[in-house]
Amino acid sequence: MKHAERTFGDTLLKVDNITLRFGGVKAITDVSFEIREKQIFAIIGPNGAGKTSMLNVINGFYHPQEGTITYKGNPRHQMKPHEAAETGIARTFQNVALFRGMSTLDNVMTGRLLKMSGPSMRYYHNKLANMPVINYLTYPAMWFGDFLLDSLYWGPYQKEEVAHRKAAEEVIDFLEIQSIRRTPVGRLPYGLQKRVELGRALAMEPDLLLLDEPMAGMNLEEKEDMCRFVIDVNDEFGTTIALIEHDMGVVMDISDHVVVLNYGRKISEGTPAVVQADQDVIDAYLGVAHEEDLIET
Amino acid sequence: MFYREAGQFYTSYAKDQGIFQLRQDKYGLWGILFIAFIVVPVGLYLLVQGGLMAASTKDYLYNSIFLLLLVNSMAALGLNILTGYCGQISLGTAAFMGVGAFTAFKFSTGLNYRIQHEDDAGELVSQLVPLLPAIDNPILLVLIAGFVTAIVGVIFGLPSLRIKGFYLAVATLAAQFFLVWCFSRVEWLYDYVSSSTIQIPPLKLFGLVVTGSETVMRDGQAVTIYPAAETKYLICLSLVVFFAFIAKNMVRGRIGRAWMAIRDMDIAAQLIGIRPLATKLLAFAVSSFFCGMAGAMSLIFYLGALEGAEAFNINESFSVLFMVIIGGLGSITGSFLGAAFITLIPIFLVVSLPWLGGQFGIPVDAAVVEHFQFMIFGALIIIFLIMEPLGLARLWQIGKERLRQWPFPY
Ligand SMILES: Nc1ncnc2c1ncn2[C@@H]1O[C@H](COP(=O)(O)OP(=O)(O)OP(=O)(O)O)[C@@H](O)[C@H]1O
Ligand SMILES: [Mg+2]
Repeated sequence: MKHAERTFGDTLLKVDNITLRFGGVKAITDVSFEIREKQIFAIIGPNGAGKTSMLNVINGFYHPQEGTITYKGNPRHQMKPHEAAETGIARTFQNVALFRGMSTLDNVMTGRLLKMSGPSMRYYHNKLANMPVINYLTYPAMWFGDFLLDSLYWGPYQKEEVAHRKAAEEVIDFLEIQSIRRTPVGRLPYGLQKRVELGRALAMEPDLLLLDEPMAGMNLEEKEDMCRFVIDVNDEFGTTIALIEHDMGVVMDISDHVVVLNYGRKISEGTPAVVQADQDVIDAYLGVAHEEDLIET
Repeated sequence: MFYREAGQFYTSYAKDQGIFQLRQDKYGLWGILFIAFIVVPVGLYLLVQGGLMAASTKDYLYNSIFLLLLVNSMAALGLNILTGYCGQISLGTAAFMGVGAFTAFKFSTGLNYRIQHEDDAGELVSQLVPLLPAIDNPILLVLIAGFVTAIVGVIFGLPSLRIKGFYLAVATLAAQFFLVWCFSRVEWLYDYVSSSTIQIPPLKLFGLVVTGSETVMRDGQAVTIYPAAETKYLICLSLVVFFAFIAKNMVRGRIGRAWMAIRDMDIAAQLIGIRPLATKLLAFAVSSFFCGMAGAMSLIFYLGALEGAEAFNINESFSVLFMVIIGGLGSITGSFLGAAFITLIPIFLVVSLPWLGGQFGIPVDAAVVEHFQFMIFGALIIIFLIMEPLGLARLWQIGKERLRQWPFPY
């Protein structure tokens, strides 16, 4: 209802006939969908439906046996997770995966690593990277130049660090976690940890943000905060968001488009209203509802 | 009351990101540096001049305690970067130190190699031919040793992409044994002498004799100048302080964050764009650089001559690992605390146990002292691993937190 007259851009990510097998187990079978720019896209389905596996495929953790992925208009080759990150895909995890030994601030700053680059490397990418032979010859020297600046924490590097600290502080302000800036994240309560993890992903300034059950295990108030952050990120920064969520209320409220998976297959797709009325979806959820109740209570 | 952060606010991010969060810490460090660089040398000099201390005691302090402490601190810094910050366990520290020592030796003698030919009488004649001019600057030698060891460290770090934890420890153990085997079997490394010992030739820095001795003519008489213990001490101290500063800068900047990310959660680290192999190899390189320097310092300043297989055996690797565990994994200060602890405890026991035994009429010989040492270290390692994995550095931090609240803990 809130998104009545929202408009979206071109297709950002297109998933075509993806099949993913683990030995004999088919985690995903022949799934296709499109995520458009600026959309809030939800993937739902009962436990073990293959939702997390789908995200793992998108950010290069799993390599599907069949199917293609087109991202930003280009077909994607098999890539490693850090390469996916370089193309602007960020991610949070179903079970919080923070750097436990580090403070909130350091976690968020770590999210900026890809954006941080020393002056020599910047020069290299602007001027030298496209020249044949020279690019190979100069790369080590340029890298080492930055490395020396880093280890002296001096001049251009310090400026760099301050600039990125500003960006990190903006994220921290946005998520209202100023007061835990210096706290080691291992000591934070679960809800805040999830928020810090979102902060780390936001610090990457991603084009596509993947959220794996961002509200799981939260109380009502925390859930509302998290919803607000997701909507604000989408509004203010125009970030495309794909999220997995079990709370149907949340999904219906904030998402523009929903894909429903069951046993690794796509069983329904459309706006929240359409999906909610779909008999297959109702069956799928009723079929496992009892089991879920047993597990969660 | 003495230790408060109240009223200390930072008005810019640059200041807030300084090495020290508190003014007290900064003054504390300047104080320690002042003591190490000025008070110790001047004080000992005055004590000897004033007849309050024997010159031999002073030399013992420098040559047997301070230099060893500095060498160990450098090695502990190196291992802490790899294990404490990047989470990669290594049992090859001593071998890497050995690589540094042998590199320093080879470059100080001009990278000799042997050519053999038969002379007119048909006898085999061997001759050592230098490849390069010999380097006689100790600091340059230490740095070269660091670079060469960094390369060796990267090679032995390659398996870390595939294997982790316990298995990586075993792989580095293999490196330890292989390298130590080289130290006593590859003749080129020790210039083909039969005892496989290496001895550092005379070196000078800024005209000061650092190793060996020099004979000069003074007023028509030949005078032999021996290196002053203070010279060695101050050179080592400067090296350690400078490189501790470098290490601190690395771990508080983006390099350190990448290392810690790999250590804490390597899956999430990759999804942030951190390349696991490059990051781990950088840690191996930097860590080995430090260990190599420590080995070179050990040869040049501390021992002068050594036998590789003995000086850099597995026990040495373990002792550096203990320093890092007891001092504190992932702490620069901890590296120093741990090095001091492991270096000084044996010396303390050697002095105190026989005395204590004497009080009760129990004879205490060297073997007993050594066994005591093993027992104490063993117990401490277990205690620290169970109760305080972050080591002395963490205890120090807790102490500071208490001080901050004192005298009103609530
Ligand atoms: N690495 C793996 N190896 C083997 N099987 C796997 C692996 N990852 C996922 N699977 C299997 O794939 C199926 C889908 O798992 P997935 O984690 O994607 O489900 P999900 O929809 O995220 O479920 P949940 O709601 O419980 O998080 C499950 O049957 C799971 O056992
Ligand atoms: Mg899941």
